[in-house]
Order: sequence, then structure tokens, then C-alpha cells
Amino acid sequence: MIYHLTCALSVLIVFILQTTVFSQTRLVSGTADIILLFLAAWSLQESVKNSWFCTFATGLLVSYVSAMPFYAPLIAYLGVVGISKSLQRRVWRSPLLAMILVVLLGTFLQHAIYIVILQITRAPISWLESLDHVILPSALLNLIFSIPIYAVVRDIVKRVSPQEVEV
Amino acid sequence: MKFLNSKNIRTIIIFVVVGGLLFLALSGYFTPLFNLSVNPLISLQSWLSTRYISARDLLTTPRDMTVLREQNALLESQLTQLQTQLIVMEERLGEAQVCFALLDFGRTNPQYNYTAATVIGREISPFLQYIIIDRGTNHGILYGMPVVTQQGLVGRVDAVIAGAARVKLITDSTSVVNIRLKSAGIEAQLVGSLTGDVSLDMIPLDASIEPGDVVLTSGLGGNFPPNLFVGQVLSVQRHENALFQTASVQPIVDFESVNAVLVVTDFEFVEISPLIPEPGQ
Repeated sequence: MIYHLTCALSVLIVFILQTTVFSQTRLVSGTADIILLFLAAWSLQESVKNSWFCTFATGLLVSYVSAMPFYAPLIAYLGVVGISKSLQRRVWRSPLLAMILVVLLGTFLQHAIYIVILQITRAPISWLESLDHVILPSALLNLIFSIPIYAVVRDIVKRVSPQEVEV
Repeated sequence: MKFLNSKNIRTIIIFVVVGGLLFLALSGYFTPLFNLSVNPLISLQSWLSTRYISARDLLTTPRDMTVLREQNALLESQLTQLQTQLIVMEERLGEAQVCFALLDFGRTNPQYNYTAATVIGREISPFLQYIIIDRGTNHGILYGMPVVTQQGLVGRVDAVIAGAARVKLITDSTSVVNIRLKSAGIEAQLVGSLTGDVSLDMIPLDASIEPGDVVLTSGLGGNFPPNLFVGQVLSVQRHENALFQTASVQPIVDFESVNAVLVVTDFEFVEISPLIPEPGQ
């Protein structure tokens, strides 16, 4: 329960930061998605058992506010956490490497989902232009912010985790 | 002859000698002699004075330093307070300037009613160009209302809740605005793009347009009121075998730094999309 409460509070803060600060900080036309970074870092923590619920709630919140159609952010965030969960089992010895991999793959997956859905809704978006102007700059920004976000999330999880007592 | 007695003669001799010495001294003949005798005294006095001042400084400086440091700290704190006040005043001045500019726009365009709103957020997805404003249905904002600044057209309300609304900018890749080129007197479409650049499409090949031409809304389609300033033509592109010319447009509004907007609340948005036949029908 404490994890869900902490996640909900953190997501609200991250969401406000994303809409007010990070969405305005552009590199070419790309922006960092710290909600994605938070969800990736949260789901990579060993002590966090059920991150799907938090991801689902976050995806719904972002889908409600965003102009993206068909709950695209929800699908994208669930995909990112899916990548995170599958990588967590394989690269569990080096969580930072796992975080970087999740952020890189997750950013590409998220943007691919966005482009496909926007093309379905007849928005004139080309893959090459998107790659040059949005996807690669966004991936770079996400990689830059991934380490500090991971450190913050790990610290938060450590603080809310119950202390293990040796008997 | 009493006057020339020995006493008077001695007095006269003394006067003459003293007068002679004074004359010689005033004439500068004794200067080397004076220097020779006075310079050691001056040197001694200087040495003594320097040592005294050094000793006095050594004894009194710590007290002065303490006082000076206290005064410096006090002045620094006052400076910080004044700088904080200055920043607050500058912020208020900036807000006031924006308000005055919006008010000025409202005065110069009195045919519409406006509701001022502050931009409180931006779209999360980098593929879309939207802003979120702090006015919603509680303040009379409805779907489709045009949004402007004192400079020109910004976009229109795309979604609205009680206390906030989402505005689609004219730079969005799905945005299409019917415009009119003032000097050429022709109509065309202004379309957004993924990168936030806007361009003109559907310009007839025989139309003569030049960089610097003013772009205004035409009012066709019922999405926006006519004669709102949009921007200026930057360059014109004419491709071979193309049916229309295209042109790049420099928007008058700086969409990266727009902080406050006006929503035109009494413009009746006309939804004509049901009247447009679907392809294949």
C-alpha cells in the first residue's frame, strides 16, 4: 500500500514537472519524458512488486490530459514497463545498464506507437522526419535524465521500504 | 659721544650679524647647511612615525575589521533584499506589460469579447503542439473558441474541462487554417508541421506572392474570425509539375514563450466537417 501511495504522489509531482518544465525544454523538436523515466526506474526496483497498477493509473492520467488519441500514452507506458520487467530478470546485476537499455528501447517503442497512431488518425507525420527531429533528440534527453531520475527513485524506494531485521 | 660707548657698539654688531645671517639664510646661502642638519631629523621622524602607525594599526585593526565585517554583512543583506524586491518588481512589470498588451488588443478589436488566460502547461507528446490554459467551462470557455494574443492568432480550444482547457496551436501538424494574403488578395491554407514550422499550401500557381506579404485569417470554414494577424511570408517555393505553390511563413506569435492568451468567447464556431464528403462516398 505504501508503494502505491508513494508512486501516486511521485507521479503527480513528475506529471506537473513534465507539463510545466520538461515539455518546454526542447532539443530540436524532441523533449524528455520524465514520466517514462520515472516508470522505468520504478519498475526496475527489486522491492517494488506490482508496478503495473501504477503504470496503468499513470497512463490513464496522461491519456486524459494529452491530445494523443486512442489512449496512446497508456499503451506506450505499459510497453515500457513490459520492457523493464523483461530486462530486470536478465540484467539484474547492473541496474544502471538496465535503466539505460529500458530508456533507450522504451523511447523508441513509445515514439513508434505515437507515430503509428497519429498516422492512423491521418496526421501527416513521416518516419524519417520524426527520427531526425523528435525521436533521436528525445532519446538523447531521456538518456541524460535517466541516471538522476534512477538515483532519485532508488532513494525514494529505499526510504519507503521496511527495514530488514536480522533475527 | 656717549652713544658710541662699548655697550651700544656691541648691540649694533649683534644686530648687524643677526641681520646678515638672516639675509644670507633668506637668500638661500645656508640651504645646504640646513639640509645637512635637518634631513637626519626628518628621516628619524619618518621612521618613528611609520613604526608608530604600524603599531597603532596592529592594535586597532581587529576592532575595525570586526566593525567593517558587520557593516558589510548588513549591507549585503540589504542588497539581497533590494535585489529580491527588484526581481519581484520586474516580474510584476512583465505581467503588467502582458496585461496592458492584451488589453490594448481588446481595445483595438472591440467587436469580440475576450477572456484572458494563463498558459499553465504544454502537451506531453513532442509530436503535438498544444498548450493548456487555466480557464475552462466555469469561465465561459467552450470547444472551438479561437485563441489569440496581442500579436495575432494562436490556435483554438480543442478540449475543455471545468477549470482548464487544451488549445491546439496553429503550428500543430494536424492544424489547418484558412488564410488570406493581404497584398496578393488570394486565399490559401496555413498548415502546421511536426517541427512547429508553418507553411502555406494551396496557393494558385498564377498568384504572385512575395516574402514579407502579410498573412491574415480569411474566416472561411467557420473555424476562426476573419482578419486576425497570423504572420508574414518568408519564402516562396514553386516546384515543377506541382499543382500549387507553397510558402514558408514566419508566425507573428512566438509560441515557445507565449505565457498569456485571450480566448474569443463570443465567436460561434461552425462545425462543417459533417458537410465534407468522405473519400469514396
